[in-house]
Amino acid sequence: MTEEHLLKGWEEFEAGALLFSFEGDPSQRKFHENNSIHHSVADWRVLKPVFNEELCIHCQFCWVFCPDTSIIPKDKKFGEIDYVHCKGCGICSDVCPTNPKSLVMFANQTPIEEALRNWPAKDEKKKENSDG
Amino acid sequence: MAKQHRVVWDGNMAASQAMRQAQIDVVAAYPITPSTPIVQNYSQFVADGEVEGEFVMVESEHSAMSACVGAAAGGGRVATATSSQGYALMVEVIYQASGMRLPIVMNVVNRALAAPLNIHGDHSDMYLGRDAGWINLVANNPQEAYDLCLCAFKIAEDMRVRLPVAVNQDGFLVSHTAEVGEHLEDADAYGFVGDYTAHNPMLDPAKPVTYGAQTEGEWHYEHKMRQNYALVNAVPVVEEVLKAYSQLSGRDYAPVECYQTEDADELIICMGSVVGTTTMTVDRLRKAGRKVGMVAIRLWRPFPKEALAAAIKNAKSIAVLDRSCPMGTTGALYNETAAVMVENDKSANLINYIYGLGGRDTTTEHLEGIFDDAAECTKAGKRVKPIIQTINLRGKSLSFYE
Amino acid sequence: MLEIRWHSRAGQGAVTGAKALCEVMAQEGKFVQAFSVYGAEKRGAPMNAFNRIDDDPIIDHSKAMIPDYVLVIDPSLVYTDITYDTKEGTKYVITTHLSKEELLKEVPALQGKDVHVVDCIRISQETIGRAIPNTPMLGAFVKVSGAFDIDEFSQAMKEILYKFPQKIIDGNLQAIRRAYDEVN
Repeated sequence: MTEEHLLKGWEEFEAGALLFSFEGDPSQRKFHENNSIHHSVADWRVLKPVFNEELCIHCQFCWVFCPDTSIIPKDKKFGEIDYVHCKGCGICSDVCPTNPKSLVMFANQTPIEEALRNWPAKDEKKKENSDG
Repeated sequence: MAKQHRVVWDGNMAASQAMRQAQIDVVAAYPITPSTPIVQNYSQFVADGEVEGEFVMVESEHSAMSACVGAAAGGGRVATATSSQGYALMVEVIYQASGMRLPIVMNVVNRALAAPLNIHGDHSDMYLGRDAGWINLVANNPQEAYDLCLCAFKIAEDMRVRLPVAVNQDGFLVSHTAEVGEHLEDADAYGFVGDYTAHNPMLDPAKPVTYGAQTEGEWHYEHKMRQNYALVNAVPVVEEVLKAYSQLSGRDYAPVECYQTEDADELIICMGSVVGTTTMTVDRLRKAGRKVGMVAIRLWRPFPKEALAAAIKNAKSIAVLDRSCPMGTTGALYNETAAVMVENDKSANLINYIYGLGGRDTTTEHLEGIFDDAAECTKAGKRVKPIIQTINLRGKSLSFYE
Repeated sequence: MLEIRWHSRAGQGAVTGAKALCEVMAQEGKFVQAFSVYGAEKRGAPMNAFNRIDDDPIIDHSKAMIPDYVLVIDPSLVYTDITYDTKEGTKYVITTHLSKEELLKEVPALQGKDVHVVDCIRISQETIGRAIPNTPMLGAFVKVSGAFDIDEFSQAMKEILYKFPQKIIDGNLQAIRRAYDEVN
């Protein structure tokens, strides 16, 4: 389904099929209508990452590895997950070094509170600080 | 008119000197015969400190053009050079360059395409890139390779155009043929080309921009037509730039060059180094009282339909020369000419000559033979030969399409 | 129009020689053209270079010519066909260690032609220090053609070679002078 305002005529597009991030003065951060901030790309997500603040050591591996910039940091610490753009690939959970992990994949429809209640226990077979 | 210096340059040196004078930000290139000396000369200029820009060594022509696209999108003046197989390897990326409207200048030293492998000149590579959305200029001698390379920057970077430009020159017959020529002083040449104005550069963090976005069915058609609109409407800009260059240099160029066409019954339409030899042939036959003339296509894309229509309006028989094997139909220049004739209700006897493949020599004698064929058609009032003819081909006489 | 065909092996400097001749002629106000025909680009393969020289701009870009001069800078190339596409007055300047008589006996195709011999290989070895027979051939050409005063030609060549070390320039000028004196 295409939104009406994107169906412009040929003469209205930017030459070279360029897309700008902002409209007008970029310092005002008025996101352009083409900017993906306005477009959810998460609607085919099957699993979602859930964050457990109790366990996180703020190493920021998840932020480094996320291929869709969907881990939003704050003050050099884990901030939040951008569920509008996260596609549920699971890389963040995979690279998370804590035991148990601070990011765990749950079915997309699972409420966050339920996920936190059902958090996996520490893996005793795993050695401390092991990269597994 | 600006002061000029007399030199003996071949086409490769001419092109590399024009590149030097244009003060390019990034040249990314991979050497291939017969354009190797352009890359070699330019890297020498870099090593000698004669140019300030970057020279990027890459591992293939695909990478060369990719680096050019990146650098041009980044906001720099960019140029390169290639030939034949290298051009073929670039093709995927030359469509990216034009689709992103990047004003890259490329010197294409025309050479045959394998197989069989051949290093010599024909227009197979130029024709391969025919629909790639680049402006294509054709230089017929080293002087023109210099002049048109300077003009190419000006045309490509014009805000009404913003498209890549290829300057074609025949392999060896132009690229490796040293001739007397004239060049502008550095300041005048650069003054003509002008400072580069970056348009929507990626390296402007204050205005983030995405290049190379995907456009599916809803948008692709609109973007391609917008690109074609710019290309088709580049003809007057090309004319304007060539005129400005003429005022500076005293050397006149036009999208379609006419030689003795006004009262000519028979015309040869051609491109490339054969233009000089054809001019000589026209002179020779004119002395013998023959009404012959020549039309040389300087601007291959966008095709100058109006100028060609005007150039051929009085001709009775027209021989169109294509220096590339059309593989399954008539030659591309023949097809353009036939289209222009239909569009203008112009009737004339039209024959297509496929010549010079892989550097096969084409002499005044061959060209006289073509004019003789055309005169025979004029006399008979109809085409007396099959549509496609071959010249200087060994073996049984070969023609196509009765 | 003056037309010259060089017979050489790739790497012996025929293209450079043809271009140098162009440079000198261009300085004299002539219009010139130098080009070459070669195939596989391998060192030692026989190849041709060509010059056209005229008072008017040269617009012919075909490779066909009936040369006024055939310049042969490799001694073994006389055993290939060097007399094709020539005319009555075509002059041959051939590098060889043989005397003219010995050469004509060895290569019957040259009998009755206007043949001049000079040993450009030996001259270049003794002056430049390497077997680069192109510049001595220019000296021999100047003598046979009478197209230039040898001193003016040497001066022009000196300007063309200005980028090279003095030793190389001196060697080349000496080679030109010796070939000019020794050709017969």
